[in-house]
Amino acid sequence: MKRYDLIVAGAGPAGLSAAAEAAKCGMRVAVFDENAKPGGQLFKQIHKFFGSKAHKAKIRGFNIGSELLAEAERLGVEVFLNAPVLGLYDGREILVRIGDETRHYKGDSIIVATGASENMLAFPGWTLPGVMGAGAAQTMMNINRVRPGSRVLMLGSGNVGLVVGFQLLQAGCEVVAVADAAPRVGGYGVHAAKLARCGVPFYLSHTIVRAEGSDCVTGVTIGEVDSGWSVIPGTEKHFDADTICIAVGLSSATGLLKTAGCEMEDKGPFGRLPVCDEYGQTSITGIYACGDVSGIEEASSAMIEGRISGAAAANYLGFLPDAALKARAGELEQALEALREGMFAPKNRGKIPDKTDEGFDVSMSLLTRGYLDDAEVAGYPGVRSAAGTHPVIECTQNIPCNPCQDACPKGCITVGENIVALPQIDAGAECIGCGLCVASCSGQAIFLVNEDIGGGLASVTIPYEFLPAPKPGDTGVCLGRDGKPVCPGEVLEFKSPPAFDKTGLLTVAVPQAFCGRARFWKREA
Amino acid sequence: MTERKLLSDLVPQPDDDMVVCRCEEITKGEIRRAVHDGMFNIHEARRFLRCGMGLCQGQTCGRLVKAIIARELGISQSELDDATGRAPMRPTEMRIIASEVFGE
Repeated sequence: MKRYDLIVAGAGPAGLSAAAEAAKCGMRVAVFDENAKPGGQLFKQIHKFFGSKAHKAKIRGFNIGSELLAEAERLGVEVFLNAPVLGLYDGREILVRIGDETRHYKGDSIIVATGASENMLAFPGWTLPGVMGAGAAQTMMNINRVRPGSRVLMLGSGNVGLVVGFQLLQAGCEVVAVADAAPRVGGYGVHAAKLARCGVPFYLSHTIVRAEGSDCVTGVTIGEVDSGWSVIPGTEKHFDADTICIAVGLSSATGLLKTAGCEMEDKGPFGRLPVCDEYGQTSITGIYACGDVSGIEEASSAMIEGRISGAAAANYLGFLPDAALKARAGELEQALEALREGMFAPKNRGKIPDKTDEGFDVSMSLLTRGYLDDAEVAGYPGVRSAAGTHPVIECTQNIPCNPCQDACPKGCITVGENIVALPQIDAGAECIGCGLCVASCSGQAIFLVNEDIGGGLASVTIPYEFLPAPKPGDTGVCLGRDGKPVCPGEVLEFKSPPAFDKTGLLTVAVPQAFCGRARFWKREA
Repeated sequence: MTERKLLSDLVPQPDDDMVVCRCEEITKGEIRRAVHDGMFNIHEARRFLRCGMGLCQGQTCGRLVKAIIARELGISQSELDDATGRAPMRPTEMRIIASEVFGE
């Protein structure tokens, strides 16, 4: 039987990170994955990641995937694809299906990084073609380049629902609504705001009553729910739609850990999860779990957890001295802790703070309608009025993200040591209008405004990731934060240099009175 | 294991004919009926109805079936076990399982 120092099940962000970290210590590592391509969910993620700049924030997910894969290959990690691990047995032996055979391998250590699967929801009509998981829609769009439909209703306002909803718009679909049974938007406000300003309505405290159609989805009815999650009669709303995306959470894919006999514990809404120590080691010595399989979090956290488990496996087999593990794990845990801070941290799940850490009111409009109310925007520390071109940062929730502060060559923007702090603008610093901050903001929440460009006009620069690229002189209508038309807008400039990594900067001229409200631009039909 | 208890009569619900386990085409009504017939956990429901025993091995319906059983019993979902984890983790043809390679 072929033997490796480390066998990793799952070539996603956690598994590849674990493999690379262990290989770096000199281990002979094999990674098995059931898919035809490595990278797990990373290659579906076309958006820029949040987080700390030191840990790959503002890099698009698929680029992180390529970097990780290149690193693993450089370090001599063997990656087996189309190779599902079917079982994990005593003595750290695995059974893998490869081609028309099942093969046995032995690992002196094992890391299970099998990720998660999407939760489904049953409602009348849910088996009709056209109802799919949001992740499935994302695979169709971003991996297979197939548009899942033309009119889509998204159920679920967590980050998956919001991110995939925006990508559906980018793919040219119409998103007829985002609905969620919860009374508040579950994901980052900045993600919701991107959808809202494109005109997508939010229906909180709403769920799907039924999908309509005989052979495929032709429509959907949603309704408002009461406190017992039952639909209140008379609140039903119908939408013509051919696609319904379900983004109601993920479940850890713990099957292999269960077959191995790892001890599991009930974690309430998170389901039954493996009992792990600080390094991800399960109740069975030498078997580790990291990434979504040990608890659902972001890919950024999964990659750090993977590195910690990889280093721990190396230490277990004597490839990494105790002191070196302690130092490495300490530095990684610090990064992980930073990602686990803020309003959306796992420990704050289900709580709705009414103030930010800094004491600013949390926008209820953002939480219930998906956008900041025009009247409340000026109260946040990133929003300042000034002469000349200056940034306006509509980042109003404590989320772990800081690329904007390093983006500005003039030191205009400060987040500080605590990466969940709201960005602040130094009123004394000079803005040269370079736009690097706009392109660096993964939440697309930074705008450049010049309140007076002469002739009664102002200019607003908007992050723009849609095709076709606008050209100077194009005319259209500017939409407000709520997605409703506010004024006409003529394109002054569109630039998308390589350093902006495909976030175009669209500058439009608007009547001066509207420079605080115009936040999106739509070509004239 | 949930204590065996007497349940109140099964009251029909309008969506009882909704398919919950797509692979084996088991409806919500059949699952509810099975609970009243004494299947008090996911293991018994699986053996009795085959829900979650098809191609996807309950990856889609596992949580849905669990929720229906819990609601019918009036207990929290966390009181119910998940389905047992068993190899093969993915549907695999018998001829492939039989083509077992130990050496390299």
